[in-house]
Amino acid sequence: MARRAKEVLSRRFLPRDPRTVGPYRLTPSLALRIGVLGMLALVVFAVLFLRLWALQVLSGAQYLRAAQNNQLRTVRVQASRGPILDRYGRVLVTNRAGTEVQIWPSDLPKRRSDRVRELREVARIVEVPLWQIAAAIRKHRNDLLTPVTVKTGASEVQVGYLWERREDFPGVRTANTYLRSYPHGSLGAHILGYVTEISPAQVKVLAKQGYHPGDEIGQAGIEASYDRYLRGTAGVAKLVVDSLGRPRTHLNPSTMAHPGNAVRLTIDLKLQQAAERALQIGMEDARASQCYGCWNANGGAIVALDPRDGSVRALASWPTYNPSVYAGRVSLRGLDAAGLTPKTAQPLNYPALDRAVDAAYPPGSTWKPVTALAALEEGLITPYENLQCTGSYTVAGHTFNNWDPAANAWMDLRTAVAASCDTYFYRVGYRFYGLPARLGPRLQAWASRFGFGASTGVDLSPERTGLLPTPDWRKATYTKKTDPRGWEIDRLWKPGDSIQLAIGQKDLLVTPMQMARFYAMIANGGSLVTPHLLMDVEQPPSNGRRGAVLPTSPFAAPEPTNVDAGALEVVRQGLLEATHSPFGTSVGVFGGFPVAIAGKTGTAEKTIDPGDGYPRIFNQSWWCGYGPADSPTLVVCALIENGGHGGTAAAPAALHVFEEFFHTQVSTTGPVHSD
Amino acid sequence: MAVDYVARSRARTRRRETADVAALVRRLDWLLIGFVALLVAYGLWAVAGITRHDIAGDPNYYLVRQSVYAAVGAIGLVAAVVIDPERYRAWWRPLFLGTVGMIVLVILRGVESNGSKRWLDFGFFRFQPSEFGKVFFVLALAGFLAERAQKLGEARTTFRAVGLACVPIALVFLQPDVGTAMVYAAALAAILFVAGTPWTHLAGVAATTVLVAVVLLWAAPAGGVHILKPYQVNRLTGFFHPQSDPGGATYNIAQSKNAIGAGQLRGRGVNGATQTNYDFLPAHHTDFAFASLAEERGFVGASILLGLYLLVVWRGLRIVTLARDAFSAIVAGGIVFGLLFQIFVNVGMTMGIAPITGIPAPFLSVGGSSMIANLVAVGILLAIHVRARGVRR
Repeated sequence: MARRAKEVLSRRFLPRDPRTVGPYRLTPSLALRIGVLGMLALVVFAVLFLRLWALQVLSGAQYLRAAQNNQLRTVRVQASRGPILDRYGRVLVTNRAGTEVQIWPSDLPKRRSDRVRELREVARIVEVPLWQIAAAIRKHRNDLLTPVTVKTGASEVQVGYLWERREDFPGVRTANTYLRSYPHGSLGAHILGYVTEISPAQVKVLAKQGYHPGDEIGQAGIEASYDRYLRGTAGVAKLVVDSLGRPRTHLNPSTMAHPGNAVRLTIDLKLQQAAERALQIGMEDARASQCYGCWNANGGAIVALDPRDGSVRALASWPTYNPSVYAGRVSLRGLDAAGLTPKTAQPLNYPALDRAVDAAYPPGSTWKPVTALAALEEGLITPYENLQCTGSYTVAGHTFNNWDPAANAWMDLRTAVAASCDTYFYRVGYRFYGLPARLGPRLQAWASRFGFGASTGVDLSPERTGLLPTPDWRKATYTKKTDPRGWEIDRLWKPGDSIQLAIGQKDLLVTPMQMARFYAMIANGGSLVTPHLLMDVEQPPSNGRRGAVLPTSPFAAPEPTNVDAGALEVVRQGLLEATHSPFGTSVGVFGGFPVAIAGKTGTAEKTIDPGDGYPRIFNQSWWCGYGPADSPTLVVCALIENGGHGGTAAAPAALHVFEEFFHTQVSTTGPVHSD
Repeated sequence: MAVDYVARSRARTRRRETADVAALVRRLDWLLIGFVALLVAYGLWAVAGITRHDIAGDPNYYLVRQSVYAAVGAIGLVAAVVIDPERYRAWWRPLFLGTVGMIVLVILRGVESNGSKRWLDFGFFRFQPSEFGKVFFVLALAGFLAERAQKLGEARTTFRAVGLACVPIALVFLQPDVGTAMVYAAALAAILFVAGTPWTHLAGVAATTVLVAVVLLWAAPAGGVHILKPYQVNRLTGFFHPQSDPGGATYNIAQSKNAIGAGQLRGRGVNGATQTNYDFLPAHHTDFAFASLAEERGFVGASILLGLYLLVVWRGLRIVTLARDAFSAIVAGGIVFGLLFQIFVNVGMTMGIAPITGIPAPFLSVGGSSMIANLVAVGILLAIHVRARGVRR
C-alpha cells in the first residue's frame, strides 16, 4: 500500500534529476572558460573599434574622395563648331541644335541578359538597329568612360520617352549636341568637306593635339584643313549619378566650352552657285551636241580664282553629294545612296572625288601656251616665224593628225594659239626633241617652273600632283618588271613623246587647279600664285571674350617665274584672238561677251571605261582663260569629262561663270568651231 | 456550512502570483534591459536616417515597420521571461525536431530571393525561420548536453552532440544560407565550450572544421567539385584579397569601405550620405546597415552602437556565471556567443575583415524575424537571470 502510494506520488512529482539539475557549481575550470569568452569578446570589440578608427579617422579623407568620385562622372562638353562663311559673310555651313542619345558602357547593367534587354529596347526606341549599337559599344570597349553616341538628332518624342523612363534605362543618357547644317544643300560640298566622329586611328595620331575619343573632326575639305580653327575648345562638366548610372543632377560645367572660330572663305556664294550651274550647262551642252561619247558627259570641274592673289572664288566638282548625310548618325544606307561608299562610288562616278584638285586629266590644247612660252624662252621659235599648219604631220614614219584635217596655212605663234593648230605645235615639239640631251628636257623644265607636276599648295587635301613625263620618268617607270614585253622600247623617250607633249597629250596629266594657276600666271604677268580658300579666321564673342580676327599664317606670295614679258605678251594676244578673231576656237562663245575674255579651248583624249567594260578614247572638254583681257580679275578653268570639244561644253560653262562674275550676259552666240 | 475553498484557493493563487510577479520584476537584470532598450532605440533612430530616401514619398516606411517588429519583439521578450527555462530542457526533443522541420519546410516551400530560400511567405508577412532557429538550436543542444552532464568527458557525447548539431547546420547550408550556418556552428562551439567539453575534444572539433573549410573552399573547387557555388567561395575568401575584383564579388566591400571611411569622425548626415542615398551601398538597410550608419553618423555614431553591443555582451556573460544550473548556463553561453559572433561577422564584413555573408546586424538591420528572435533571446537571458543563484529574492 505504502509502496503504491509512493509510486503514484513519484509519478506526480518527479524526483529532481541529479544528472541535470544537480546544483551547478562555478568550478574554477568553468570560470576559466567564461573568462576566456570574456577575453574573446573584448578582443573582438577591440578589433572592431580599431578597424573603425582606421577606416574613418585615419584614412577617412581618402575614402571620402573615393565616395565622391563614385558618383561623379566627368563629361566632355563639345564646343559648337565654328561656321564657314563666304567672302561676304554669307553662311555656307552652320550648326543646328540636336539631341543625341548616348550610352555609357560602364553604367549598363552588369548582367548580360539585362544589358541585352535594355539595349534591345533602346534600339527599338531610337530606331537604330541593335547590331549597330552593339558594334559601336564594341568599338569603344577599351574606353568605358567615354559615352558611345548611338543616335544624334534624336526626335523630341524619343528623347521625351527616354527621359520619362530614365529609371529603366541605366547608362542611357541624352545630351544636347550640335549638328552640322548645310543651308545650301550640296553647294560647295567638295570645298566644305564633312565632319564625323574621330576614328580610333586618328585619335592615336592626334591625341597630342588635344583630340579625344568622341570628338568630331573634319574629314575632308575646309572642315579638315581648318579643323584647328573650327573645332573650338571642349569644356568639362560634372554629373552626379547613382550606382546604376542614372543621372541625379543636371550637367554642372566646371570648364566652359569655347565655341569654334568662324572660317571665312574667299569663295563667293553667288559665283559658286553659278559655277555649279555652269557644270550642268556644260554637261547638257555636251549631251545635246551628240558628239561621240558625249552621252557619257557625267562629270567635271570648274575652278575660278583671282589671278592677282590666288584666292579661289569658286570651285565646283560634279558629281557631288550632300554633306548633311554625315550630320547626325551616319547611316550606311544613306552613304550608299549618295555613292560615298566603295561599293557604290564607281556606278555613281565617284561623287566624293574633288575633281578640281584631286583628279588629273590630259590637258590637250589648253597646254599649248606652256609649249609656246617654253619654245620662245628656249629660242626654238620667234613670235613672227611662220610654220605650216597642215592636216597632218609625219616624222620618223609616224603620222600625227591635226584636229582639223582641212587646215593648210602658214601661221605665226599667235595665230597658231588662237586657231589651236596641232601640226604647228608638233613641229615645235619635234624641235624640243632635237635639243641636245645635256640640256635636259627643256619643255618639262618650263612646265615645272609653271607649277605642273607638283602640288599647287592649295588649302584643300588630298591634292593630286598630276604627271609631267620626262625621259627619266620613262626609264624609271618602264622596267623589265613592270612591262615585261615592251620595256626595252617603252623606256626610251621617242620623238612622239615630245611631239604629243607639245599639245598636252599622251602621258601628261594635270589637275584643273594646276591649269587655273598657270593661266593666272599668264594673266598676272608671270607670277605663280598659291591658290587658297581661306580669307580669315574670326573669333566670335563668347563668355566675355570679344570677337576678333585671328592672325593666321599668310599664304606664300605670288612667286615670279621670270618668264620673258615679251613672250607672255605674244601668248596673251594669241589667247585673246582665240576668243575674238574669226579663226579663234571659242569666238562663238565669247565673241559677243561685253567684257574681253581671253582663253583657250582644249580637247584631250583620254582612255576611259564608261562602265561597260570596253575602255576607249573619249574627249575631255577643257576651257581655260581669264578676263578682262587687259587687266584680268578672274581666271576660270572648266573641265567637262567626256564633253567632246572644248568649245562645245567647257567654254559655255566657263562663260556662265564670267556672266555671273561681271553681272552681264553675252549678247550673241555664234557657231562654235574648235578643238 | 459551506467553506468556499475554491474562492480561497483562487485568492491564494492570485496572491502567490502577485508575489511571484513582484519577485520576478524585482529580480530582472535591469541593466541588461536598459542596454537592450537603448540599443533598440538607437537602432530605430539609425534606421530612420538610413532609409529616409529609400521609398520616395514615404520616408518613414521602414522606421514604422521596424518599430512594429520591435514592439512584437518586446512582447516575445516578456513571454520568454515568464517561461521557466526548465521547460525548454524538458522539451528539447520536440524543439529540435521543430527547428529541423521548419528548415526543411523552408527548403521545400520557401520563397526564393537572391538565389537562396530563406523565407516562408504567410501573405501578410515573411518569416525567416533560420533566425528563430538560432534560439531553438541553442535550447535543444543545451538540453541534449544537460542530460549528459555527467558524461561530458566522454568522446561519445561530444561526437553525438556535434552529429546532432550538424543536421540543422547542413540543412541551413543547403538553403543555401552559409552565414546562418556559420552562426549555428559558432553557437555549437560556444555550447560545447561552456558545457565543459574537454579541451582535447574541442581541439578535435576545431581541426575537423578547418579541414572541412579547406576542402569546401579550396580543395574541392580545385578538383572540379563545386559544393559551394563559386560566388559563395568568392564572398567567403574575397576579403583576403580585396583589390582583386572591384566590380564583382568584392564590389560590395569596396563600396562599404568607401561609405564607412567617408563618414569620418562626425558623419555626413542623412542627406549628405551619397553612398547610401544613391544606392552605391548594396542592401544598406539590411546586411550593410552598419556601413550606412557609419557613413551618416561617423565614428562617433558607430562607436555608440558598438559600445552598446559590448555592454549587452558583458551583461550576458555575467548571466552565464550566475545560472542556476548547467542547462541555463549553456543556453546563456550559446546565446551570448551567437550574438557576439553575429556582431563580429556583420560589422567585420562591412569593414572588410570578415567574409561576406547575409548575417544581419543585431537590433540594427531592418528585418522582423531577426529583431523578434534577438529580443526573445534577450528574454531567455533575463529568464535565466530571474531564476539565478545568488540573486536577491
